[in-house]
Amino acid sequence: MLSVLVWIPFVAALLVGLLPRSSSTSVMRWVALVAMGGTFVWSVLLAVRFDALDANAQFQELLPWIEPLGLSYQLGVDGLSLPLLIINGLLTWIAIYSSDEDIQRPRLYYILILLLNGGVAGAFLAQNLLLFFLFYELELIPLYFLIAIWGGARRGYAATKFLLYTALSGILILAAFLGVVWLSHAPSFEYDAINTQLLPIASQLVLLSLLIVGFGIKIPLVPLHTWLPDAHVEASTPISVLLAGVLLKLGTYGLLRFGLQLFPESWTVLAPYLATWAVVSVLYGAFTAIAQTDMKKMVAYSSIGHMGYILLAAAAATPLSILGTVFQMVSHGLISAMLFLLVGVVYKKTGTRDITILSGLLNPERGMPIVGSLMVIGVMGSAGIPGMMGFISEFLIFRGCFPVFPVQTLFSMIGTGLTAVYLLLLVNRTFFGRLPEQFSNLPKVYWSERLPAFGLAILIVFLGIQPNWMVRWSETTTTAMLAPEAAIATVAPIKAPKTLTAPAVIQSSRPTNTL
Amino acid sequence: MQELLLEASWLIPLYGLVGAVLTLPWSTGYIRRTGPRPAAYFNLLMTIAALVHGAIAFRASLSLAPDPIVIHWFKAADLDLSFALDISPVSLGAAELVTGLSILAQFFSLGYMEKDWALARFFALMGFFEGAMTGLALSDSLFLSYALLEMLTLSTYLLVGFWYAQPLVVTAARDAFLTKRVGDVLLLMGVVALATLSGTLNFQELYDWAETATLTPTVSTLLGLALISGPIGKCAQFPLHMWLDEAMEGPNPASILRNSVVVACGAYILIKLQPILILSPTASIALVVLGTMTAIGASLVAIAQIDIKRALSHSTSAYLGIVFIAVGMQWTNVALMVLFAHAIAKALLFMSTGSIIVTTSTQDITEMGGLWSRMPATTTAFVTGASGLIGLLPLGGFWSMREGINAFWYDDVWLVGVLLIVNALTAFNLTRVFRLVFLGSPKVKTRRAPEVPWTMAVPMVSLTIITLLVPAILNRLYLLPDWAYMNQSAVVLLMLSGLIGFLAGALARFSGVWTRSVQMPFKFLQDMLAYDFYVDQLYRVTVIWLVNLVSQFSAWFDRYIVDGVVNLVGLASIFSGESLKYSVSGQSQLYLLTILLGVSFLGVWLTYPMWNALLNY
Repeated sequence: MLSVLVWIPFVAALLVGLLPRSSSTSVMRWVALVAMGGTFVWSVLLAVRFDALDANAQFQELLPWIEPLGLSYQLGVDGLSLPLLIINGLLTWIAIYSSDEDIQRPRLYYILILLLNGGVAGAFLAQNLLLFFLFYELELIPLYFLIAIWGGARRGYAATKFLLYTALSGILILAAFLGVVWLSHAPSFEYDAINTQLLPIASQLVLLSLLIVGFGIKIPLVPLHTWLPDAHVEASTPISVLLAGVLLKLGTYGLLRFGLQLFPESWTVLAPYLATWAVVSVLYGAFTAIAQTDMKKMVAYSSIGHMGYILLAAAAATPLSILGTVFQMVSHGLISAMLFLLVGVVYKKTGTRDITILSGLLNPERGMPIVGSLMVIGVMGSAGIPGMMGFISEFLIFRGCFPVFPVQTLFSMIGTGLTAVYLLLLVNRTFFGRLPEQFSNLPKVYWSERLPAFGLAILIVFLGIQPNWMVRWSETTTTAMLAPEAAIATVAPIKAPKTLTAPAVIQSSRPTNTL
Repeated sequence: MQELLLEASWLIPLYGLVGAVLTLPWSTGYIRRTGPRPAAYFNLLMTIAALVHGAIAFRASLSLAPDPIVIHWFKAADLDLSFALDISPVSLGAAELVTGLSILAQFFSLGYMEKDWALARFFALMGFFEGAMTGLALSDSLFLSYALLEMLTLSTYLLVGFWYAQPLVVTAARDAFLTKRVGDVLLLMGVVALATLSGTLNFQELYDWAETATLTPTVSTLLGLALISGPIGKCAQFPLHMWLDEAMEGPNPASILRNSVVVACGAYILIKLQPILILSPTASIALVVLGTMTAIGASLVAIAQIDIKRALSHSTSAYLGIVFIAVGMQWTNVALMVLFAHAIAKALLFMSTGSIIVTTSTQDITEMGGLWSRMPATTTAFVTGASGLIGLLPLGGFWSMREGINAFWYDDVWLVGVLLIVNALTAFNLTRVFRLVFLGSPKVKTRRAPEVPWTMAVPMVSLTIITLLVPAILNRLYLLPDWAYMNQSAVVLLMLSGLIGFLAGALARFSGVWTRSVQMPFKFLQDMLAYDFYVDQLYRVTVIWLVNLVSQFSAWFDRYIVDGVVNLVGLASIFSGESLKYSVSGQSQLYLLTILLGVSFLGVWLTYPMWNALLNY
């Protein structure tokens, strides 16, 4: 079941590579589109067959691989990874769809995108630390080339920066993984086999810090973030969509899966610092975004701010806030993908992304009114206007974090106000006002260019109005992530007298409302 | 049937939204052959349906007590977001007021916006506007109300920015959104805190909670201040009042709604929040202080405006200030009555203004004059609206003001003074505008001024009649006091204050030198009021400057410090590599020796314990 998600892209990449030399670009494009469509449909089918009430990893697959190392090919999916797998399929499809039809070196391009998708899917599915690490590194290589070959003017600098940063992140993560397994004398690298509670708290903290910095680069957290704006500005539109929509989620996914889940004890020790760090990230991202003049940079910095909320919610670690992280990952994936697509259309038609030059693009006859309207929707979604997905995810996070970290939550909420400031300035400057002479002859915008953003807009509004549809997949998992003791207690009623009070005990072991 | 419609009251807000969705083919330009009119008709039809539905439900609600409607929207972990709807005569009456004024405004805009190419988009936004407002009227959940307030913020932004190609509109739309957003974010903080503290967001349960809640003074003060800041932004109260004045750059039919019912929505939330605000005395004091400041300040500022819409919009702030005072003093019935009377009278005044603008193509009252004989219906509307607004017996404004004076008569005499001052200043301002616009000799732009077409005249005349009927409506709702028990001196004082304002306005000189005095002190005063006490300048050198500074600094820090360190590390490693390469000779024997030495060193180091053991053996 699950291997399909990993191997369809790989096989399709091979197929694109083996296509005869004479075959045209559109054939490769179609192969990639069909393969991605298949993967996406498959992930939706998985969601249908997924048992939302089971907190364990489902559809598990196990193949022994290198036993002495403790490495096995073990896949599984739970409520945390399922939504991410679905947006991975969806956004990769959209990225391929919105790639230039006459792109340079199409064969390599489609192969790399397909490999990227397979690598990310594998990382989300892996149930073995080493396997996760392999996929995590695998995804890095195609992305490096995608930025370095099809990027903008400073693509070499941006791609190298990205590679170095992410490689460093990989090293830190690998070190932490090896440390965890060797120090705790776990029999293998399987997620279930590891129990860090046996370790002294000092070594737990060291290992957890390694992990947090490692994934913090990927998320990215301030001050480990400077690769992101550069990578976004230099990458082409479809790659930006993937980078913001899917790849950043690997960082937050890792933080939740390995930070929070493997180190429940030391996590609570570090949580207050993490929450403060999150506030710094949120406000820093928002303030820096206000001062940007490049539309893409603005959206990139907004990503930093939005990912900061996830760290805050992860630090608070209440059932609601963890659910909020899943929600925020998906909503940020969809909304930032939509914004990047629209910025891409504007750039393609006008040749610039500078908000001090652009103006009046909402002009009904010679501008791009529908792109403008979609931009307003995307911007409002990102700023957290109710009725769209950004709002409910932020509300879940704030409501979930407030009891634990009231001050930090309030400071992060200032971030949503600031988000409105810069995104509104973006729309106001570029779309409102008078269309200058130089843009009076813009090329026509085709429906095929609007369609991906249009679809995402519908999805964002739909899930904003009907959030139940997403919550039901993740709720069981996110609740169980926090209270393994309670889950054990209900399964094995040895501590029978305590089971009744177990949830209350767990509640009180966390820092509670200080008000 | 009645009962069924009452049960289905939750549908009322959806009519407007459906209308907005139905306009999409025209507003996106998909259907061009028919012109944009069908979109407008669809919207009107949906609004009429909402009105009829609401009317039947309202009648039914007077006799029947329906089951409370609770919509279970979202449930996750320990959070249960279910929306309670308040189906009561008050809420349905508020919804009726909104839909009624919405119909009139939409009808009016058929004429007003006739030549606008984006008529369909305008109607889509109006439908959205109406849906959000009726929803707000019916909502009995703080969460839902908050969400709808944000929707109103969004639609205000889009409606103010309707003519987005004009520079003033661009800044006006931006300021409207951001100012309201400041209030909204603070309100969201309050909502989140309240949800955590009380565990619920439905008003009825919050009221129960508030009765027994024990909070530390700091928490309750912060909570109260956060909760009132949303309405402060929405109702254009000091210090978040600048947007309403600027928003007058938008189309007039939207201004009709904005100055009557949209601002009232903010106040409506405030009234709903009032039982919770009791927890914080500071918040109540803040309401009274801010309300007083705005009521008197805005009344003064209105006098110095020469833009006809701005002169009226500042008086909107002033009346909402009175509402704030009333809520702060816990007289919610006074607040509701002021809102009701003000909404109808102000809507009428703005309709009349709209006809003047569409006929004369100007908003500057110094360019007008002598319209009374040319536009009789508009003149009647203006006079009726003005009389309905100030405390003139027997119209609505009088009864609402009297209610207020009655409430404050014994304990808070100074607030009676505030009411009388606002009344006098408003009377003065309206008389001033009336004289400049309708009396005097015709000027260039008012010489050829035919009465407006029927699409605008019909709603205007209907609203004139409704304004005249307000006392009758109040009577039907048993809101009028018995004549025998009335405080005679209050009545006299109120009438007197209006009379003073009227006489001052009638006798003062506005033409010629007085429009721009050469006397320094008077000029200074005039400028200060005309520029709204320079509050926008104050913002520019404080909040905006600060945000700008911080963002510039963080961008600089990001570019030169954070990124600079990274690039420095990169540079250092390249440099060291470049310089180290000169140390190699190229002899492979040397390389081999180095490798051998290195490997053996590593081997010795790793196996050191073994050697150690061997040596000791």
